[in-house]
Amino acid sequence: MNTGWWSDLRYLMRRYPLGVGGAVIMTVFVLAAMFASVVAPLDPFSTNARASLAPPGSKYLMGADMMGRDVLSRLIHGARISLAVALGATALGSGFGAALGLASGYIGGWFDLIVQRLAEIMQSLPLLVMALVITASLGPSLGNTIIAIAIPLIPNVARVIRSNVLSLRELPFVEAAKATGMSEWRVAIVHVLPNTLAPLIVLATAQLGSTILTEASLSFLGLGVPEPYPSWGRMLSESAAEYVRTAPWLVIFPGLAISLVVFGSNLLGDALRDALDPRQRD
Amino acid sequence: MSALLGRLALACLLAVLCLAAPAQAQKQGGVLRVTHRDNPPSASILEEATISTDMPFMAVFNNLVVFDPNARQNRLEAVVPELATSWSLSDDDRTLTFQLRDGVRWHDGKPFTSADVKCTWDMVTGHTASNMRKNPRKTWWFNIKDVTTDGDHTVTFHLNDPQPSLLVMLAGGFSPVYPCHVTAAQMRTHPIGTGPFKFVEFKQNELIRLARNPDYWKPGRPYLDAIEYTIIPNRSTMVLALEAGKFDLTITGELTPELVKDVQAQVPQMQCLVQPSNTQGNLLVNREKPPFDDARIRRAMGLSIDRKAFSDILSLGVDKIGGAMLAPPEGIWGWSPEFMQTVPGYGADVEKSREEGRRIMRELGYGPDKMLPLKVSTRNIPDYRDATVILIDHLKSVYIQGEMEALDSAVWYARLVRKDYSVGMNVQGTGIDDPDVMFFENYTCGSERNYTAYCNPELEKLFHRQSMMKDFEARRQLVWEIDRTLQEDGARPIVYQSQGGTCWWPQVKGLKLAVNSIYNHWRFDDVWLDR
Amino acid sequence: MLSYLIRRLLLMVFTLFGVSIAIFLLLRIVPGNIADILFDSAGMIDPAEKQKIVSDLGLDLSLPVQYAHWIGGLLHGDLGYSYVSEKPVLDEILPRIPITGRLAALALLFAVCTGVPLGVISAVQQNTWLDYALRLFSLSGLSMPSFWLGLLILMAFVHYFGTIPIYDRAPATFWAWVAMLGVPAAAVGFRSSALIMRLTRSSMLEVLRQDYVRTARSKGLSEAGVTFDHALRNAMLPVITVIGVETAFLFGGLIVTETVFNIPGVARFLVEAIRWRDYPMVQNLVMFIAFVVVTVNLIVDILYMFVDPRIRYGQ
Repeated sequence: MNTGWWSDLRYLMRRYPLGVGGAVIMTVFVLAAMFASVVAPLDPFSTNARASLAPPGSKYLMGADMMGRDVLSRLIHGARISLAVALGATALGSGFGAALGLASGYIGGWFDLIVQRLAEIMQSLPLLVMALVITASLGPSLGNTIIAIAIPLIPNVARVIRSNVLSLRELPFVEAAKATGMSEWRVAIVHVLPNTLAPLIVLATAQLGSTILTEASLSFLGLGVPEPYPSWGRMLSESAAEYVRTAPWLVIFPGLAISLVVFGSNLLGDALRDALDPRQRD
Repeated sequence: MSALLGRLALACLLAVLCLAAPAQAQKQGGVLRVTHRDNPPSASILEEATISTDMPFMAVFNNLVVFDPNARQNRLEAVVPELATSWSLSDDDRTLTFQLRDGVRWHDGKPFTSADVKCTWDMVTGHTASNMRKNPRKTWWFNIKDVTTDGDHTVTFHLNDPQPSLLVMLAGGFSPVYPCHVTAAQMRTHPIGTGPFKFVEFKQNELIRLARNPDYWKPGRPYLDAIEYTIIPNRSTMVLALEAGKFDLTITGELTPELVKDVQAQVPQMQCLVQPSNTQGNLLVNREKPPFDDARIRRAMGLSIDRKAFSDILSLGVDKIGGAMLAPPEGIWGWSPEFMQTVPGYGADVEKSREEGRRIMRELGYGPDKMLPLKVSTRNIPDYRDATVILIDHLKSVYIQGEMEALDSAVWYARLVRKDYSVGMNVQGTGIDDPDVMFFENYTCGSERNYTAYCNPELEKLFHRQSMMKDFEARRQLVWEIDRTLQEDGARPIVYQSQGGTCWWPQVKGLKLAVNSIYNHWRFDDVWLDR
Repeated sequence: MLSYLIRRLLLMVFTLFGVSIAIFLLLRIVPGNIADILFDSAGMIDPAEKQKIVSDLGLDLSLPVQYAHWIGGLLHGDLGYSYVSEKPVLDEILPRIPITGRLAALALLFAVCTGVPLGVISAVQQNTWLDYALRLFSLSGLSMPSFWLGLLILMAFVHYFGTIPIYDRAPATFWAWVAMLGVPAAAVGFRSSALIMRLTRSSMLEVLRQDYVRTARSKGLSEAGVTFDHALRNAMLPVITVIGVETAFLFGGLIVTETVFNIPGVARFLVEAIRWRDYPMVQNLVMFIAFVVVTVNLIVDILYMFVDPRIRYGQ
């Protein structure tokens, strides 16, 4: 229905202008990641000695790095990596966290107690420190980076979901469902879970930004995603930062890309929170 | 007559005064502030093999002999006395006797005697037990049968075979004399030497401080009051701080030619020198594990490498191309350009080599649609990573799809030992530009530094033969041939011989760098500050 | 109140215990220990020598025994010896803690002193251009990688002032000292400042709608009085919570900022210790960090109780 979704969109744009802006940024980001090979002007992997540290110009729109690789093409392909890490870590962390929180809130008792304590233990360590130790132990790779960033997310998500579940459990419609003879499992999945989705989405979107930033920090310290994957964070790491004055474009553009995407996800997250979680609306 | 004589005398006097007056008078005093890149694993030079320990702590010690700092090339002819005042070789060239200097004291006041020399070499040859944690250069001293003393000021090295390179090895920065009366553990944290500077403190990851030794046996030296090394791992911060004048000197050989260009553009009066660091990038190839158990794939890999590209990217074209030994004119033992043309894989036509490599791979069933996947392991350090990026790009030209596996040092090392790798990008420094050092450390069967377990007993006989030769030209020819055989065998394909930059402000005077090693000129007893 | 405190303290001990086990195991999961690293830097292997180091350091003992040694020592105040420097861990850590502590405190101070006022302004001027501008500004503060910000600041300093505010044990002038302390603090605190600003704003807005504010207004207090007296105090609750949570996040910012500005603090030291597999150092540092985080959380919860009269635990 043409008029239907168009007027919906206009409504959204008027009500949540910043959110729509964030959504646009994220859409561009995702599209660039998906169609990187088509969109990128040059091959991000081939080294070319003669183009080493070329300034932004007609051929290398955002300049070239020390190996002569086009920065713009690496940024576009890097979107794919950042997206993979962000989505992967967020999905993994939120998924496990939600499952744990759901089970913990619903089952209660010893299980709940143990999970709570484990969560507290994990939360007493800063995100970056945990991720550092994990990648230092396992070695820097795409998979290990995702795992290392996902793990610290789990307790945060679990706690929020758990408190949601606790309050939902007592609500009348759940009691009603149980009274009709539904098994606990079905009640949990059919009735309780959907109502935790809203805060989960808000939480996940909020985490998205921080996972991208954590990956950037890990790569900056040399422990994130390795070659040949063009990670934005690693583009900012030592090799690039050395040429901070002869080739500032190596520092400016990847940093801008990271900031922009995190900015967009934050805008989107704010708007989603306003829309889905009425208690927080201002 | 007398007036003329008088004027002549005056003229002579003036001439003598002019000639005798030094170009500039050295000033006493001042603290030299140096930037350091990396935390030294310990303060004990004998236990380490890295410039991180060598450069700061060499000023604490003396050797028996050193390389003349005024000679740009570290070679046998440039070996001059330090703790030894003279030496003589027996007729059969198997006994080297040193006369030692009188009146030298350790920093804790105890006198230096021949016993200390004997202790040191008994320790590094492994003839006595010691509490050293590591002994990286044990293989250097394979030829020493025994060390004997004759009174406090005479010490004799008894060798199995003649070895002209022994003096060269004794002159290197990694061959200081240690005191008998100090434990190895203390030498790691608070070393005692006889050198121009005393150890003051070493704060992990932060700084190293040395202070002038007022009782140094060289009169009037050192000029500096103290030397201070500040550890700044982040290279951009280090360069910015240098340019802002917070430091006088950088750690040697750590600046890329590109960075040096940047520094000189920002601060035109900065003195910078880009020279061979006698560090080479090479490939460790696991001959026991697929795919490199197949010699054809090893050959294809060797043919894909464009050494000039490595040099262009990593060093603006300044890096040298050569075999195991450092290339001339800086290196003494490297191939001449004519000889190099005869070595397979070193020809100028890269595309032809790569076509040959592709042909080999096609015969094995690989092609643009069926690439051979390969993990290229490397240490997780920018220099290693950069070289690996280039290598992976080159491997594509022979249908090998490489993926970098950047490993933390501990993991890298553990994997190497377990032979749990296919190919590793390795960067290694050689303490002295000498074939005995290079061959015996890296290519002998069972040597600890021989990670790839390359073993060629026939070639090893040649190692020993060249070690005994006194005729330089003949010896060099043999060294060239050995080097060529090593490359043909694909023992450890050499990818580049790097250049490193060192920068210092003009007020640092008396600093002399060598062209064929970064490890040997850091006594700092002739350096002074003009401010 | 007392029973609550005791319960929390017991919980703290339990949590720290759990952290100790976690970090102990995590470090030993994969191959590669200090002996490997020491040999790597020497570029060679001698199995006999390596074995000697391993047994000297007790690395070949069984895991539970090693753990018991560590914890036993910890309870006596003996944190063991660093594998790398061979000095007592306590000697290495203690001098560095005040440096990081000072940086963290200054960063938090910066964050609170800029975040709270800006948040209040933004709330009071809701939906005006100023509000939007401040909101976008704070959001960008949350989006930038903090080491990128640090690098840009360094570049700007060298470009415009010709000096570089990296760590200097003896700053030459007063302004150099101010720059040395203030610049990294701002770089670390920028992110927290943005967070606090946003939270103050939303919390203020929520409070401004509350019934009791209307009541206060009806009592005839001036507009300004209403805003700053009642609303602010109640708005501070979530902010205080955030300060607690931020302590953990702050550490991440401290790690990268100490690296960029070359500050010899505990955070940078931790990264190096991890790289060197210096188990005693890493374990004790991580325990220390966990201790700080847990303690700050406890203090925050107690403060919370005093600030909000409606909450009393255990009742």
